Parts: sequence; structure tokens; C-alpha cells
Amino acid sequence: MKRILMFSTLLLITVTLVMAQTVQITGTVTGSEDGLPLPGVNVTVKGTTIGSITGADGKYVLSLPVSAQTLVFSFIGFVTQEVPIQGRTDINVVLKQDLYNVDEVVVVAYGTVQKRDITGSVSSVKADAIRNIPVQSFDQALQGKAAGVSITMPSGALNNPPVIRIRGFNSITGSSSPLIVVDGVPIFSGDVSQTYSFANALSDINPSDIESMDILKDASATALYGSRAANGVIIITTKRGTGAKTNVTYDGYVGYTAPYHLFDLMNAQQYLSLKNKALANSGSSTVLKYASGADGKNIDTDWADFVYQKGFQHNHAITFSGSTPSTSYFLSVGYTNQEGMIRKSSFTRKNARLNIDHKLNKWVTLAANIAYTNGYNVSPNTGSDFSTAGAARLAFVLPSILGPYKADGSYNINGAAIGTMGTGLTGVSYYNPAAIIDLCKFTNETDRVLATLSGSLEPIKGLTLKTVYGIDNLSSESVEFRTPLTGDGYSDNGSVWNSFYRPKRWTWTNTLNYNISLLEKFNFGFLAGAEEQYTKSVQWTASKYDVADPFFTVYQGSWVEPELGGGVIGENYFISYFGRFNFNYNRKYYLEGSVRRDAFSGLSKDNKWGTFGGASVMWNASNEQFISDAIGSVFSDIRLKASFGRVGNMSGIGNFSSLYLYGAGLYADVPTLAFSQIGNSALKWETSDKYDAGLSFGLLDDKIQAEINWYYNNVNGLILDVQQTPSKGIPGGTIPQNIGSMFNTGFELTLTSYNFSTPRFSWTTTLNFSTLKNEVKALAPGIDYLVGTTGGLETTNRTVVGEPIGNLFAVETRGVDPQSGRRIFVNKDGKEITYSHENPAATRWNYRDGSGVAPQITLAGDGKIMGSPLPKYFGGLDNNLTYLGFDMTLNLTYAFDFDLYCGSKAGLRDQRFWNNSVEVFETAWEKPGDKTNIPKPVWGDNVSNGSAIPISENIERGDFVKVRTVSAGYTFKSLPAITKIEKIRIYAQLFNAFVFTKYSGSDPEVSTNRDANLTPGVDRNTAPQARTWTFGLSVNF
Amino acid sequence: MKNIYKFSIGLALLLLVGCSKEYLDPVPQTSLSSLTVFETKDRIEAQVNGMYDAMKTAQFYGGRFFVYNDIRCDNFIPKSSNLVTGYSTWNHSVITSTNEVQNLWSAGYNTINTINIFLDGLKTAWDEGKLAGILTDTEYKQYTSEAYALRAISYFSLLQLYAKPFNMGNGNNPGLPLRLIAETSSENNDLARSSVAEVYTQILKDLNDAEGMAIANYTTDQLNTTRIHKNSIIAYKTRVYLHMQDWAAVGTESAKIVALSGGKFSAPTGVAFELNPSFTEIWKTPYTSKESIFSMPHSTTDNPGSQNSLPSYYFSGATESYYLNTAPGYAFSAMDDADVRKTSLEKVNENYFISKFPDYTSHSNYSPVIRYAEVLLNRAEALVRAGNTVTAEAVELLNAVRTRSFPAGAYQQADFADADAFYTAILKERNIEFLGEGIRNMDLMRLSLPIPGKDGGSMGNISAVNPTDPTYIWPISALELTFNKLMTGNGK
Repeated sequence: MKRILMFSTLLLITVTLVMAQTVQITGTVTGSEDGLPLPGVNVTVKGTTIGSITGADGKYVLSLPVSAQTLVFSFIGFVTQEVPIQGRTDINVVLKQDLYNVDEVVVVAYGTVQKRDITGSVSSVKADAIRNIPVQSFDQALQGKAAGVSITMPSGALNNPPVIRIRGFNSITGSSSPLIVVDGVPIFSGDVSQTYSFANALSDINPSDIESMDILKDASATALYGSRAANGVIIITTKRGTGAKTNVTYDGYVGYTAPYHLFDLMNAQQYLSLKNKALANSGSSTVLKYASGADGKNIDTDWADFVYQKGFQHNHAITFSGSTPSTSYFLSVGYTNQEGMIRKSSFTRKNARLNIDHKLNKWVTLAANIAYTNGYNVSPNTGSDFSTAGAARLAFVLPSILGPYKADGSYNINGAAIGTMGTGLTGVSYYNPAAIIDLCKFTNETDRVLATLSGSLEPIKGLTLKTVYGIDNLSSESVEFRTPLTGDGYSDNGSVWNSFYRPKRWTWTNTLNYNISLLEKFNFGFLAGAEEQYTKSVQWTASKYDVADPFFTVYQGSWVEPELGGGVIGENYFISYFGRFNFNYNRKYYLEGSVRRDAFSGLSKDNKWGTFGGASVMWNASNEQFISDAIGSVFSDIRLKASFGRVGNMSGIGNFSSLYLYGAGLYADVPTLAFSQIGNSALKWETSDKYDAGLSFGLLDDKIQAEINWYYNNVNGLILDVQQTPSKGIPGGTIPQNIGSMFNTGFELTLTSYNFSTPRFSWTTTLNFSTLKNEVKALAPGIDYLVGTTGGLETTNRTVVGEPIGNLFAVETRGVDPQSGRRIFVNKDGKEITYSHENPAATRWNYRDGSGVAPQITLAGDGKIMGSPLPKYFGGLDNNLTYLGFDMTLNLTYAFDFDLYCGSKAGLRDQRFWNNSVEVFETAWEKPGDKTNIPKPVWGDNVSNGSAIPISENIERGDFVKVRTVSAGYTFKSLPAITKIEKIRIYAQLFNAFVFTKYSGSDPEVSTNRDANLTPGVDRNTAPQARTWTFGLSVNF
Repeated sequence: MKNIYKFSIGLALLLLVGCSKEYLDPVPQTSLSSLTVFETKDRIEAQVNGMYDAMKTAQFYGGRFFVYNDIRCDNFIPKSSNLVTGYSTWNHSVITSTNEVQNLWSAGYNTINTINIFLDGLKTAWDEGKLAGILTDTEYKQYTSEAYALRAISYFSLLQLYAKPFNMGNGNNPGLPLRLIAETSSENNDLARSSVAEVYTQILKDLNDAEGMAIANYTTDQLNTTRIHKNSIIAYKTRVYLHMQDWAAVGTESAKIVALSGGKFSAPTGVAFELNPSFTEIWKTPYTSKESIFSMPHSTTDNPGSQNSLPSYYFSGATESYYLNTAPGYAFSAMDDADVRKTSLEKVNENYFISKFPDYTSHSNYSPVIRYAEVLLNRAEALVRAGNTVTAEAVELLNAVRTRSFPAGAYQQADFADADAFYTAILKERNIEFLGEGIRNMDLMRLSLPIPGKDGGSMGNISAVNPTDPTYIWPISALELTFNKLMTGNGK
């Protein structure tokens, strides 16, 4: 009813305007730089939607009401100009190029807006900023590009989805990752592979198809995404055809990638020297010795050679685009093939996209975006954590005195494990990476159709009715084969496992948009809409083991033992109504409010619906005459804004969480049913109350543009799995409840400086800087802390009330006692205790002050919080230079004031058979008085180094500055006409060029536990980052 | 006017999006709603099997319950010090937060709640008349009896590890929280421990009620071994009374199912229990001899898997299995070389392994909950203890079990100087007969005997544990202690 009322009002207003008296104005628009006519310039009457477009000769003709006072001339890449009519009928205009991008259009929820009219907090990243970066997905390239957006590559494994946090952590059991919207439709994100080879769902979008990425951060900007908005929203807009001429481009690069910062490990001679000393120190009479290779020489293996490689890559993209008065099109095809730095790992993407817009008649426009992508990911088990098959770990854990092959050329194996070759080593349970990487295979293949069809009606200028139907159909097949020869498949005599995962989604959105200006100064915008979204995902798995003949490596081959298949089916549905109102007075005073009402199928009847909304105000002070008179010569732009809103997070809510369910199973061979889920009718969305205040300003005619924001985000009703008394026998033991709370707060600064902007020489610097303070305010009753576990084995994090989420937890250690060479632990009472591994178990722990045997140190009893892995300051710094045809970019990212748990370091100092870093060989304690961090080596000691219990010795500052990309290129223009080439750019680029850090692990940008909220900042046997060199060519025809 | 027309199209479009009831209340396709599970007999029967399956979880009767009751005692030495496969139980270092202490506690109570939820749902549906035409009165009673019996077994089993035996303080020590109502909400987290005696009272009440409602037998051997019936309830009662040292009751109960006929002992009515002529055949497919009173069935598609199944712990080929302690004074050395129970052992690299559960590949060997051999030995022991004199029937019962595997080993009544000598012989026999079946710990507990020490070589030399030692029984699960505010621990 309300909606109908609104329509009527709008209708009345419009009809009134249409009936007014008219007059005709003509003129020519030219560019300031070359004086040539500009075709395609929008000419409109200010405050109305009456307008026209200049033709190929730059001329326009416009009929307008006699009451009209001002014309507005706007064109992409040029500064919008307002010209008073003053009774003239012939108005010629010279448009100035928008060197400083002040008139950029930014895509927001269900619409677009000019950069300086945005009242919420939005960061925009244009295509140029991520162009040709040799990554698998655009989100990797966003690192350091936007204030408040933290992006961490978890490891150097190919296509591993980065951890994205917009303004901190917003959930504990749910996801803290943002909503991704592509051309108006929310799409699947995250890892869609079920095997070791990663498949980032976002890698299905070719970065070269992207026009812009707009990151919505505050509640005002995100409110229209309601229950999915709490983590922020990244809106991806793909390219569309422009320009009368058919534009053909080719972009291609070749390159190679290799790990950097591999550990410096002991060679065979150092290994024997140190480990035999450790054996002697332990009282053992065992003496390890060399094994000899096929050539009769002593074996001395650098296992990294059998894990890593120099991976070759090449990438190609061809686009065709253009437009006629009624139709515009953008067609692209792409092919990417990247070998990873880990042996036998690769990423291949084939994709095609067609974006087409067609104006059926004056008031109907149709559009379609159709994209198809095939992705193929291959990788061995790369780790992280504690797998005995993890390639990254094998590269440094295996003794250098063992070799990959026996003298007869066969793999050096002993059952599942690597063979010990008569060196005297026993109990080596790790696998031979040469064998398992060669023989096992883990692949994932995805097919994805992302498509939208839309139609819009513009019955009256300014009023748009739009319907958009989008699909995201993804299928992901994972295939595993484990060789019977050795490794994981040995005890099964080989095994195969296949999984097919198929999430599908359709989204249907209908919106009504109406913009109107009254008396030129009162500008109104209305949006009303409704949206449905249905998602269904199906997965099934099948496996067999015990191969009939070693020939077979696929599920369809012959295997002796079948297993029961498995799988899951999930579905959910959203229905939403939303609206937005915005107003500004003469672009000085802005007001905006939006509201969304969402219903989600997973919630109980009483809680299905939730209402979310946001409001913002802005004052554009530079448009005030008195201010521009006073300081306009310095400040070309001053805007103050503030917003508040409440948005939700539904990621922690299951598809059927409100239902009481019985699960089916088997009692040997007969079917069973048993109570499996408590219907949780009280469960609701997690809510975020977000506050934001900002100041934007431009200096020196916008040469310097700055934006400063403060935000405070209060998250309430966090869903936590509340532990029930085990004797109640509740299935799963926990019941999720909306019970926790947390906040994030910080400042953001974005500074863009157009240091030079001449046609010959330009230099632009962009700096963004963010701070983050996160604090958990409440957990479930009876729960003092939440434990974060790495690899299911090591308790590395503890989240406590009053502290940031995911703090690092360890037993404090204070170096090595120079007298005894023992690691000094500190117990819960603050007493120093040393550990002597060679003693009988009962007397290993002793008070350092000589007062005898001490109780054993345990993590639970003596551990404490030893640091926060959340960087308090982070950001990026980009420099772009051009000089004539030359161009150069230098992009830095940085993060400061945070800690990392370098669990890999524990492994590198472990005194079992594991290989150690050279540091251990060179600096281990030998005699009283030695000042060192490495205790006296005692064979079998896995305590002093931190393997058995995490110790503060292995918690380090992670502060770093990273040279993310450095590139140089040259563009050839004015090529002979016969080539039909408009321009060619050639370039060279180094990606992940350098890291400046004191962190001793391979890279301070790391996340063993990937996207997990409770276990950030852990570096446990994780593959290092890769450095990539590329050489590329871009051609425009 | 044309504009109005255009508007109508637009408006219609906008309103097309409408709330779809069906989409907003999706029905899961892989689970059943609680509202539908009593709609057919098949579903009710599936719920009955669901109770057995809950008990058969890997952490409880699927495998680990048996394992812990053996490896915490004296007969086995581990090949590996892997904490996942019971090393802390073996060397008596478990604490409240140790995995096995927490997991078995939760698994036991999950079984109990599954049973309570079924009992509640069944009774409600029956009382409301919803089962008319679906279940007969006999079937209703049968299902109820099975639930009661399984609840009794679950409580009895938890008592074995988490509470002091009945004979210490005559049951006055802290027992278990008695959970008898269905828990399906976040309420009722706090519940104090009942005394050991109170838990025993409930166990007996459940078993007696069950006996009254149980059916006499099923149609197949498979069902007779894997589902509860009247005689299996009685058999279990002999074990419960034996633990309560109510010798007369053991005699009364066992008399119902032990009668001499045709020169051998068998159950005169109902499922005709008898000793299987061959000891080694008990452990072979179909695992459903008349001796196998109640076993947990496993199959290639439903089994506890490696590190949980009995084959994972006792088969020679398993990576982390346990071999026999061959030092003098343990079960191994008590066996005669001619005893089938010794000759059937498997010897690998000087280590001996029991061969009852050899299917390490697919873990399909059944787990024996109670065998007729135990009923015979329960009766034999109770007969002697009741009067403290060795009776002819007691010797005959003992010999029935012993001579099956060791024909030359028959005892004469005169071999026993006194009742104590008989007790020694019968405990020895039980120790040999039930290796790997989870009886050893129960036998030590019910008599408050020390857990003997053991020398595991590189795995450690473990001292004996006396009944007064804190490690004589397990501690209570740390999670229970944290979240049940009325719960008390088992002391340091």
C-alpha cells in the first residue's frame, strides 16, 4: 500500500514537469587539451533529467523548459561543468580533463553515485590498479589497495583464497569474510575444492574483465545488503562496451614463479655432527652415519629440490568491445596457465564473457552478462600443519643424510615412510616427497556459469524500473589418488576418493529508482526494491581402496574394496524488501537513509525476519560560498560526514538450524534413526552496530586528495556454540546461541597525491593507512576463553574477554641458561624452570634456582597470552610514474605492531631426527658461559624447542614492509596505420619482490589456519610465498 | 495515459517477487523431522536400532570401552606410545581432560540420552494413541524393554571406569548423575551425582522392568545376538549382581538360563544359550553362535574404523596394536601350551597377539558384550562364594569353559583345598578366557583387587595401582566438571 502511494506522488511530480513550456538550445563541446570536438558528452538541465548527448562532431541540440536555468556537461574522464543559460540559445563549452579523478563514478548498492556525493564509507579500486598482476584471483591483487581492508595470502600455494577482513573481525563461529557482489548479484566465494588443490571461487572471474571494485565499509553503504552486510561488501563491476569504434585488445604475459625465503638447513655433514652430539648428550651409544648414493658419494640432500620448482606461467586475454547508439558489447576470452612453485602444482583457467546492452526503444533497455569459466587446479598436499605428507613440511623436516632414491634408482621408501638407508636412524615416519609428489594426484576442476539478464523501463526520465535475474551455477569436482607404493595410500594398498560439489544460486531483484531535482537545488533520490535469492548445494563423495592392479589410478578403475559414498544437501532462501532515500540541497547538505528487511529460511518462524538499516549525513563545506571564499585557494574540497547503522551476519546460521532432526545411519546392516539436532528456535542473526565519521578534503586544486575516517563497530549477538553438560547427552555437545559480543574500531587514512600531471611526466602517489583495535567483550556463560587449535594438535590461540580475538597462547620462556644450556621456562607462579631431556621422566623439570624437581610445565597450567596477531597498523603505498612512453609502478604493503607464532621454528630446532636450521648447528649451546638461544642439543628433545608445548621463544614480531609489485613498461603509440595497432605496451614486473622484516619465518604474511577467526597469526609448516617474474605485452587495435 | 500503462508493467514486475512459503520453510532431504519419526513401524524399529548404534559408537561399545578395560590392566603391552590409541590409559596417566576420559563419558551419556529421547517419544505417542495400528502391545513392550536394558548396560559400563566399585563402602561412594529424562534443550545442565548404590538400584530396576516386557526370542540368530531379549537381560543381571556381590541373586538369575541337559549347560527356555563347541569358531562369521548372548555387530560399511576397532588394538598387523605381556604371573603365562586359547595366539617377532579380532582391513569383527561362558563362570563363582565351599556344580561349570579349550585341564573337586583356591582358579580362567573382551578391569574392580604393575620395556615400567590410589578409577570428564555445577570429581 505504501509503495502505491509513493508511486502516485512520483507520478504527479513527473507529469507536471512534462507539461511545461519548451525552448531549444544548441552548441558544441570540445576538449581543453586538443580543442577537438568531444562526442558522447551528456548535456542535461540541472535539477531535471532532461538531456541530450553530443554527436560525433561534438554538437548537441536540446529542448528544455523555459524555466531551466543551468546546463550540466558531463563526460567520463572530464570534469563536469555547470553553465548558466542566461537566456542564450547557443552555448559552446570547453571541458577540462579530469586529471585528478574527482568526477569518478562509484558503484554502490543497487546503483551508482558520483565520488563526491557518497555519504557512506566506500573505497574504490579501478581496473588499472590490479592490471596484469600475476595472481589467480582479483582479491589477491586488492592487497594494500584500500584503507581498512586487510588481505593476507595464507601461503604461497596456488589459488589459496586470501583472508579478507574489512574493518576487523565481525564473527567468531561464522565467517568474517565480506559479501562479494558481481554486477549486482551476490556470488559464492571461498575455497570450493574438497581436496588439497585450492580452488578460490573468486578465481573464476578473470581480473582483466573487471572494470572496478568498490568496497562498502560502513553501515550506511552496506545497509541495503541487510543480513549479509556486517563483514562489508565488495562490489565487482565488469567491463562494458563504450565508444563507436570496435576496440580490440590483447593482454598477455609469460613468467615464472619460485619460492623465496626458504630455510637455511643443515647439510649432511652438519646434520651428522649436530645429531651425533645430541645422541651422545642423551647418553645414547647410537652413532648416525652417512648413506652412500649411487655414485658412491655420501648422500647430501636438499629436500627443497624435491618439493619446489621454478614454475612457468603464461596468461592471455583478448577483448572486443564497442557500441552503437542502441547496442554496446564487451566480449572477452582468456586463458591462464600457471605452474606453482610447488612441484606438480598448477592453475589453469579458461574463460569467456559477453556483456551486452541493448536499447530496445526509448524506454526499454535489455542487458545480459554471461560468463563461463573452467578452472583446473592441481597440487600435492602442501601442508600446512602436521600432516606427514605436507610438502612444505617435508622440505625442511627430512634429514639431509637421506636421499630420495636408492642406489638402484627406485624411490627410497620403507612402507609408507621414507627409507633410512642404513644411517642408523629409526622411527622416521615421514614420507618421501619425491615419491608422493610424483605418484599421488589431487586435482580439482570447476565449471562456473555466472550470468545476469536484466531489463529496465524508463517510462519517464528519472524513473527506472529494473528487473535483474542472476544465476551462479558452480560445479566442482575433486579427485584424489594415493599411490599404493608409499605414503598415505600404503596401508590401503592405494586409494581413490572423488567428490562432486555443486552449489547453485539464483537471485531475482526488482527495483524502482527515481531521481528528481526541485528548483534545481533540492535533489531527491528514491529506491525501492524486492529481492529473492535461492541457493542449493549438493555434494556427494565416493571412494575405493586396495587397487586391483597398480595400473589403475582413477576411481573408475578396478579396486578390491568399495566404501559407502557420502554427501550433503543444503538449501536456503532469502526474501527481502528494501528502500533508500537520499537528498541533498545544492550538493551542500546531504542526507541518506536505507532500510532492508530480510527473511532467511534457516531461522525459526518467529525469528525469520530481521530489519537492518543505516543513515548518513554529509556536509560539503567547499560548496559553501563563505568557505570557498575564505580557504578555497587551498582547499578545493572539504566534506564532513557521519553515519550510523545496524547490519547483520548470517554466516553462522545453518540451513535447518530451527528444526528438530533425526539422522539416519546403520547398525551394521540395518537402518537406524537417532535424534541428531536440537531445533534452535531462538537463534537470530548476529548484528553489527556501525558508527562512522569522516573528513575528506582536496588541496591545491585537488592535486592532493585525502580521506580520513573513524569507525566503531559493535558486534552483538555473536553466535557461539554453547557447551552443554556432557551428561545431558546432547548431539554434538553444544547448542549455538546469540551470546557473544565484540567490537572493532580504528582510523583510516587515504591520501592521493598527483605530484606531477603533465602529458610528458606524471607521478601519482597513493597512501593508505589503517588502524585496528579489536576486543572481545563477552563469551558464553561458563566459558572464560575459546581455544584455537592448529592442525587439531597444537593449541596456539586463546580468545579471552577484554582482549583481541585469537591471541597467541604459549608458555613463557626466557632464553637458554648460559650455565647449563637448558631452556628456561616460566611456570604459572613466575618461577623459572629448566628442562633436561636426558634425565628420567620424573626429574626432567627442575627449578632454576636449584631447589629441586619442579612440576611438569603444561600449556593448560602454565601458558599465558603472549601477543596479538592482529596488526594494529596496516596499509599500502603505491607510486605510479610515466615519462613519455615509459611507465613504472612501485607498490608496497605493510603491517605493524603484531605478533606471529612461528611454529615452523619449533620444527627447525627439534632434536628428534628432524633436520634443523643451520642456526642450530652454529649456535647451539656447548659449554657453560655460552650465550645463545639454542639449548644444548639432546637427542629426542622436543620440549626445549617448542614442539611439545608452544613457547614464547617462537612468538615473534611480524612487522613488515613488502614490495608487492614493481614494474616497468614502455608504450609505443603512433604506429604505422597499416598495422591497425593503436598502441603497444611492453612491460616487466616482479611480484612479491622483497620483504623487509625481522620475522625469522619464511614470510610474515602467513595464515596456516587460513580464514579461521580464532586462529590467526599461526605459521606452522606453511609453504612460503612465491616470487613471480613476468614479462608482458598489451596491444590495442 | 500511456505512462500509466507503463507503470502498471513496472509495478507488476516489482510485485512479482513474492514470499514463497515453500522456499522459506525448506525440508531437509537427508534427515527426518522429529514430527515424523513415529509415523511408521519401520521408523520406530529404526529408532530402536538407533539406540544400539548410539551405544556402538567408536568411543563406547564400538571398541574403546572394551579396550580401556583391558589395557589399563596387566595383560597387554602397546607397540606404540601414541596417545590417540590409549597410551595414557595404559600407563595410568589420564587426567580429567584426557581424550579418552572425556570422550567415553560423552559417548556413554549420548547413548543414554538417545535412549531417554526414544522412551519419551514412544511413550508419548503410545499414550496419545498415535501408535494404534502401527505397533502391537507386545511390540511396544519389547521396544521399551530393549531401551531399558540398553540404559542399564550404559550406566553399568560408565560405573566401571568413573566410580568406585560397589564393594568399596557398599555403594556409598559417588556414582553418576542419573539422567532419566529426555534432554533436548539448553536447560538442566546441573545434576548432582547419585551414589553408586542408587545407580545400581536404577540399573536393576531397568533390567527387571525390561525382563518383564521382553520377548523370548527373535526369528534369526543374527537378531538373537545383536538385539536384547529376555535371556540376554537375565544374563546381564548375573553380571550386575556379581559386581554387587549378591551371590544369592546371581544364583537365582543364572538358574533361569543355566540348566544341565544332555551333559551340557544350556538355557532351558527362550534363546537356547550354550557354549560353542569350538572356542576359535566364536570369532568367525557369522559371529552369532548360541554362546554370543549379546554382541555389537560391525560390517564393512558400518564399523568403528582404525584406531577404534578391536582389530586396531589387538591384531598383529595393526600399527598401534597391543601384544600380550608374557612375563610370569599374567594371563599368558597362566595358559597351558596345549590350551587352544594359547595355541590360537598369533606370534609375530617374538610378540604374541590374540586372534579374536583379525579383520584389520574392514573392522567387521563383532564386539562381544557378554558371552554364555561368562554366565557359567558367574554362576560357578557365586555358588562357591555364597557358602564359601566348593560345590560339584561349580567345578562342573568351571570345567565346561576350561575343558572346551584345554580338555586335559579338567579340575576335580578335590583339587581345591579351599574356596580361595577355587576363587584363584576361576579368576585365572576368566583372565584367560576373556582376554581382549573388556572383562579384566571389571573383575579387578568388583573384588577391589590392585591393578598389577607391568613392564612394557621401552614403553615404561608401570607400577601396580592399589584400590586406595587415586588412579584406581578414572577422573571425571573435565567438561562435565566445568559445566555441571553440581558435579563433583573423583579426587586427585
